[in-house]
Amino acid sequence: MIELENLSKRYGDVTAVDALDLRVERGELVVLLGGSGCGKTTTLKMINRLVEPSAGTVRIDGEDTRTLPAPQLRRRIGYAFQQIGLFPHLDVSENVAITPRLLGWPEDRVRERVDALLRLVELEPAAMRNRWPTELSGGQQQRVGLARALAAEPEVVLLDEPFGAVDPITRDRLQRWFRAVRHELGLTSVFVTHDMAEALLLGDRIAVLDAGRLLQVGRPEELLLRPAHEKVAELMATPRRQAEAVDALLGRTEPS
Amino acid sequence: MSEQLALLPGYLTAHLQLSLPALVIAALISIPLGILVTRRRGLEPGVVGTASVIQTIPSLALLAIMVPVLAALGTVTEAAFGIPLRGIGFAPAFVALTLYGLLPILRNTVTGVEGVDPALVEAARGVGMTPREQLRRVELPLAMPVIVAGLRTAGVWVIGTATLSTPVGATSLGNFIFSGLQTRNFDAVLVGCVAAALLALTLDQLIRALESGIRERRRGRVRLAGGALAALLLFTGASFFDDGGAGDRRPVTIGSKAFTEQYVLSEILAQQIAARTGLPTEAVQSLGSTVAFEALRNGDLDLYVDYSGTIWATLMERSDLPETRGAVLEAVKGFLGDAHGITVVGALGFENTYALGMRADRARERGIARISDLSRHAPALEIGGDYEFFQRTEWRALADRYGLPFRHQRTMDPALMYQAVAEGEVDVISAYSTDGRIAAYDLVLLEDDQGVIPPYDAIVLARPGLARERPEVLAALRPLVGAIDAGAMQRMNLAVDGAGEAPGAVAQRFLAALKTNPSPAGEPPTPGR
Repeated sequence: MIELENLSKRYGDVTAVDALDLRVERGELVVLLGGSGCGKTTTLKMINRLVEPSAGTVRIDGEDTRTLPAPQLRRRIGYAFQQIGLFPHLDVSENVAITPRLLGWPEDRVRERVDALLRLVELEPAAMRNRWPTELSGGQQQRVGLARALAAEPEVVLLDEPFGAVDPITRDRLQRWFRAVRHELGLTSVFVTHDMAEALLLGDRIAVLDAGRLLQVGRPEELLLRPAHEKVAELMATPRRQAEAVDALLGRTEPS
Repeated sequence: MSEQLALLPGYLTAHLQLSLPALVIAALISIPLGILVTRRRGLEPGVVGTASVIQTIPSLALLAIMVPVLAALGTVTEAAFGIPLRGIGFAPAFVALTLYGLLPILRNTVTGVEGVDPALVEAARGVGMTPREQLRRVELPLAMPVIVAGLRTAGVWVIGTATLSTPVGATSLGNFIFSGLQTRNFDAVLVGCVAAALLALTLDQLIRALESGIRERRRGRVRLAGGALAALLLFTGASFFDDGGAGDRRPVTIGSKAFTEQYVLSEILAQQIAARTGLPTEAVQSLGSTVAFEALRNGDLDLYVDYSGTIWATLMERSDLPETRGAVLEAVKGFLGDAHGITVVGALGFENTYALGMRADRARERGIARISDLSRHAPALEIGGDYEFFQRTEWRALADRYGLPFRHQRTMDPALMYQAVAEGEVDVISAYSTDGRIAAYDLVLLEDDQGVIPPYDAIVLARPGLARERPEVLAALRPLVGAIDAGAMQRMNLAVDGAGEAPGAVAQRFLAALKTNPSPAGEPPTPGR
């Protein structure tokens, strides 16, 4: 369970995140949705203190995150980066093994865990283990990045547009895969995206942010049916508009 | 050539002793310093700026500056810890080379660490690394190729610059180059240059292979390059402890400036001392002129040969001239003893003075024998002088007294000067009176009939305290006083410059002749000519 209470981040005169309150239940996936600059990534980074809050509190399972040194806190929280951020001087197995090794796991346990994770992200351990990140396709890199985030068996996972950099077909496969995996592992997750379809597909609940403020939190159908804000309504209308446009296109090109 | 190659192991070892530790220390200083700069950005202008300023000092000047700096430091360390630092030799060269190696490594460390993709640094934080772990596991490995490139640049610079440490008294491959240029032994120059270049290339390639081997995880390459580098370091380290079994007796250290006559004379002194006293001797050759005097004064050198006129003009700053050669000698002795505590062991018997020289046939044609005869011919003639001649008081005195309005003055390298006058490119040169090339090129020296040029008696100088601590050394040198006349010195110089003999061999022959026919002998046989 993650609780954000009155959480704010200011850079000089600019308020990036403004007094945010949010609660993510155990096993739940909440999507932070909004356009660029709305404060969603900053909010995510405040949860594992990659960004230190200017004010407010983050609690994980009731425990204030400031009670732990930041590196130790981060080792307990999986993090998937938008730019993936695989270390180019380490091979696939070493990239996945980083956090377990920082935690001082015994080597056999690390090795077993790496193979199990590679299988989980649908990569063949024997073929992939010793490949360099530069030898992988974009989709494979994303999978390794997710395996690295899950390596130390975290209960909380933070994902920052993890499927942003791959082609639509790969993205679709990865999204469906992730939906299954996170239920299987019972992960408590916060997922940042600006993609409405992705939010609707993956989120148990969606938190819509705009200019650092939380506009509305709710299940996808709540947001679709009862938008609390004009901007939420506008945002929710986009997938339907796109679908209608596609339908119209198909109708026009079908032989009559 | 084989004579030069025989010197190679010694010079190469000395070169490694200077350059490898300097490179290692430079890296040990500048890599942590570079990392610190990337953590505290405010330090960057100061730190990198200082290193850059050091780099802009010409390397030869940096080496020369270290001599008085270390001599001064030496008195401090001796007072504080009882460890004297020597102002000449290894210490100044080592410090200068270390300073010279700092900048490339420092700059590349800063550039390399700062060049790491910020997304990767954030990823390192995100997976839970502490700042130290980020540095060790991510930033340094990713910056390593750039840091190693800096290390390689520094390595090439340090090995190249180490050849310039000869004039401050540190043995290196530069000894081949400096003495070779002076004695016109181009085999020696070649051996020195090629060896230094090969050493630089080898080190560069070994470091490159080690870095790429580590990065690409080629175990064989890492083993090979790492093994070779480790062997080189071990060999260098071990060579410091191999003193040739000289025991704790410090060898008698004999200096020489950088020209042929000085090499021959330092060999004569060294061999005479070794033969008479059995003490070990050490030659420190090709010293800068002022470096030699400074080193003798502060005790880094025990002995060297200087010239009375040089001391009269440059140290005593006198421009007047006493009546006789003896009066100058006495004045110089008094001055050196009173002002510096230096003992003049004695005059060797010849002068090596600046003199005006011409081709013998041209001088005869024009009826020129004395400098006075030259003045009316001067407007039609051209004069060549070495780098300092036209700035020296001797030249001003000559021009004032005789009135020598030459058509043209040309400054040139001494080695080219003799050839130029022999080939008629110039008409008159500033010759050195004992130079072997005077006879070789059939030149005559014009008589200084008005007595303008001070006498340049070759005198053996001993450091303060040597007469008290090692009287046997001074006693051993006594037979040499007055034993070398100008003709003998000229022939010995010619044997080296013209016939390509080694200064040591020429010295040996001279001493053998001196033994069978003691003072005033000084007429070494010159076989083969």
